[in-house]
Amino acid sequence: MRKEVWFGLSIMAAVVIMLFVLMPAPSAMTNGHLGLLMLGLIVVGIMLGFPTAFTLMGMGVFFGWLAYYSVDPKIATRQILDLMVQRAYSVMSNDVLIAIPLFVFMGYLVERAALIDRLFKSLHLATARVPGALAVATIVTCAIFATATGIVGAVVTLMGLLAFPAMLKAGYNTKVAAGAITAGGCLGILIPPSVLLIVYGAVAGVSVVKLYAGAFGPGFMLAALYIGYVIVLAKLRPDLMPPLPASERSVALPPTLQRLATKGSNAFAGLWRATTGTGTAGVQKGSVLGQFLVTLIPALFVVAVLGVTWQFATAPAALIDTAGLVEAGAKNTAEASEELSSASTALGDSDSSGLQEPPSETAKDAAAPVATDAAKPAAAELAKAAVAEKTPIAAAPEAERLPVPTWFWIVFGAGVVFLVVLYRYWSWERFEVFKMLLSSFFPLAILILMVLGSIVFGLATPTEAAAVGALGGGLLAAGYRFTAHWRTASPKDKVSSTVRTTAKELGGIVKESAFLTAKTSAMVCWLFVGSSIFSASFALLGGQEIINHWVLSMDLTPVQFMILAQVIIFLLGWPLEWTEIIVIFMPIFIPLLPHFNIDPLFFGLLVALNLQTAFLSPPVAMAAFYLKGVSPKHVTLNAIFAGMLPFMGIQIIALILLYVFPAIGMWLPQTLYK
Amino acid sequence: MQNMLLFVDKVSTWIGQAFSWLIVSLTVLISWEVFSRYALDHPHAWAFDVMIMMYGTLFMMAGAYTLSKNGHVRGDVLYGFFPPRLQAGLDLALYLLFFIPGVVAFVWAGYIYAAESWAIREGSNITADGPPYYPFKTVIPIAGAFLLLQGIVEIIRCVMCLRAGDWPSREEDVQEVDVDKLKKMVHVKDSDIAAADKYVVTHGHGGESK
Repeated sequence: MRKEVWFGLSIMAAVVIMLFVLMPAPSAMTNGHLGLLMLGLIVVGIMLGFPTAFTLMGMGVFFGWLAYYSVDPKIATRQILDLMVQRAYSVMSNDVLIAIPLFVFMGYLVERAALIDRLFKSLHLATARVPGALAVATIVTCAIFATATGIVGAVVTLMGLLAFPAMLKAGYNTKVAAGAITAGGCLGILIPPSVLLIVYGAVAGVSVVKLYAGAFGPGFMLAALYIGYVIVLAKLRPDLMPPLPASERSVALPPTLQRLATKGSNAFAGLWRATTGTGTAGVQKGSVLGQFLVTLIPALFVVAVLGVTWQFATAPAALIDTAGLVEAGAKNTAEASEELSSASTALGDSDSSGLQEPPSETAKDAAAPVATDAAKPAAAELAKAAVAEKTPIAAAPEAERLPVPTWFWIVFGAGVVFLVVLYRYWSWERFEVFKMLLSSFFPLAILILMVLGSIVFGLATPTEAAAVGALGGGLLAAGYRFTAHWRTASPKDKVSSTVRTTAKELGGIVKESAFLTAKTSAMVCWLFVGSSIFSASFALLGGQEIINHWVLSMDLTPVQFMILAQVIIFLLGWPLEWTEIIVIFMPIFIPLLPHFNIDPLFFGLLVALNLQTAFLSPPVAMAAFYLKGVSPKHVTLNAIFAGMLPFMGIQIIALILLYVFPAIGMWLPQTLYK
Repeated sequence: MQNMLLFVDKVSTWIGQAFSWLIVSLTVLISWEVFSRYALDHPHAWAFDVMIMMYGTLFMMAGAYTLSKNGHVRGDVLYGFFPPRLQAGLDLALYLLFFIPGVVAFVWAGYIYAAESWAIREGSNITADGPPYYPFKTVIPIAGAFLLLQGIVEIIRCVMCLRAGDWPSREEDVQEVDVDKLKKMVHVKDSDIAAADKYVVTHGHGGESK
């Protein structure tokens, strides 16, 4: 047998012996001691590699029975059975955890839409001029894709297949390339909608909505730090990440655009001329118009953003009956813009009480008169705004609007300057890249933003948003599969054959995703069942109290406690998976937080950020093994580990930054949910 | 023997997969409910109860399925290094020590719980006039019983492994990270990966640390 095994086993034996030595004699043992024994044994039990859910369940039942037995031997059995089934049932009927299977399902569907190669290719072309272009594109692709799917293993494997050979071919250092893929792939468990945050919310009793709003800041900060590091490194050490040769950067124009390109080097001006002028040889007028509309999308977007900003900036100060106003807005939006797709109805419809389900009828009745009153004067103005914007908060009468603040004009100016610069340099190649992004990056980004936006702005509960997101994921998969089959389909009965093959493949995708979802949810939720039985017994024995006393007697300052907690979680992240850490060990930390005046929400953000390191800390980092599985054979595991280390350093910097400036995470939830 | 084990595996898998379709209906139900509430202004009081029941049934009934595919999370830092016989021995001991008592208690407790619920024909405690809850609570002992059955099969597997020195095979199932499928999805062939190997070697700063 190998040395490590003996080493591990002897450590565990030592722990068990220590436990029994430290325990007082059986006669002097109190229930609290039993609780501590239970905690020590569970650590050993988990390390032995038995499915954790059942270790927890078995141990919980046994020690719980001992606890009851010490009080009243006669009814102990009945009591522990009751406790057990109550805990299990509370997990089964948990209205927070229900979002887990839905988000997981959405993730599997999006993963199987097979859009990642297009996503990577278009981002790679879009970032071609940035130093370290491929690494930057890799991190962005990972961040987006991992956010939508949340499956670290699949993201790292896919990027290992796509981006790793591409980077090696471009002469990138193996370590840097491996680090970018593994670090980027792990972002998915931090950036919402992440399952980790739902599990934490369920354990700590923190609103998942607030956690999502809070995790935006740290998540994007971490992604930005990664990208910043790569860019700086590429600038300082071009030998590690040589710039791409011109052949890798060039964008092949389709024939239509090649013909149109004769109209001038600027795509915007060229399309304008082609649209208004007499026409171009070999290009249909309709397709020119289509291209021109695509060109206008950034402009429309900027106008929409400015419109929304204006609404916010000049919204009347006394917005007390938000429910009524939002109702009115929703109604008007629906009327004014029927073209808003069905997906956006979920968004556009807004009931500020959407968090409680079902929405109370009385609130709606009360809101109705306000709604109609507010609707009339605002209708004309809204019709204009509603086309561009999807956040209908603007049903207030014009007269009550506040004067436009100066900062709005600054934003307005910035928007205009942005558009001018954009269209000044809007070459045909850029236009083509933009179109590629439009078909890969934006659908995914819009799906994520819709799901998150509706949660964070309180339009839907996480459960509802997850379900609609899963439906959106299914549509995304259908759309991408359809276009893929469309290209390869034979000209004869093209439509019906494409529809048939797509439907068949989609059936397979949904089936596989459903099976995987069932297994993943069973894994997480059974762990939850086991752990809630365990922690009930632990509390019953008074183990929690002993820990509380012990920690409080150490007389730590909040900062010391926080550092201690994070170090413990960091160490736990080394041998354990994040599910186990959150489900088993968080219940021990959470009751301590009020003593130190720490917001459980803030603590949750730190934990989520901290657990990022769990995926990257050698020698058990899962991400490294997934990447190794698809790497060329000369890439060693050690090289991958070495590549991950700088990114782990960045994670620790991010953790410190978040701790020193809590506003990075807390600003958004505090602003939104005062 | 192996056939019997595989048969129980198949039963667990079949049940788990049958119930996994609940995720599709759950998605459709919630999406429809959202649409119905906001667009048609016609919410259904029973929807929330049904969602909860679908979710609870989904994961409970998939428990045995997950166990049959070895999908429950384990701390495998050390376990992965153990030789099969040691793995099997530890598993066997812990199945007898934790799993069997825990799950037997679970089925027993669930039986009492469900029986009490049936006795009073328990309704929803969330909505007035909500749907009946006793079938939902019956899921607990049923899921527990299937889990127990699968657990016994796993115990036999441990014994077989102790004898043979190697784990008996399991049926294939859809994998979360199926490298071959992912390769096909992004059109990468093994030869492409092998081709990339030369860059690692020629650039010289990749593989073996110098």
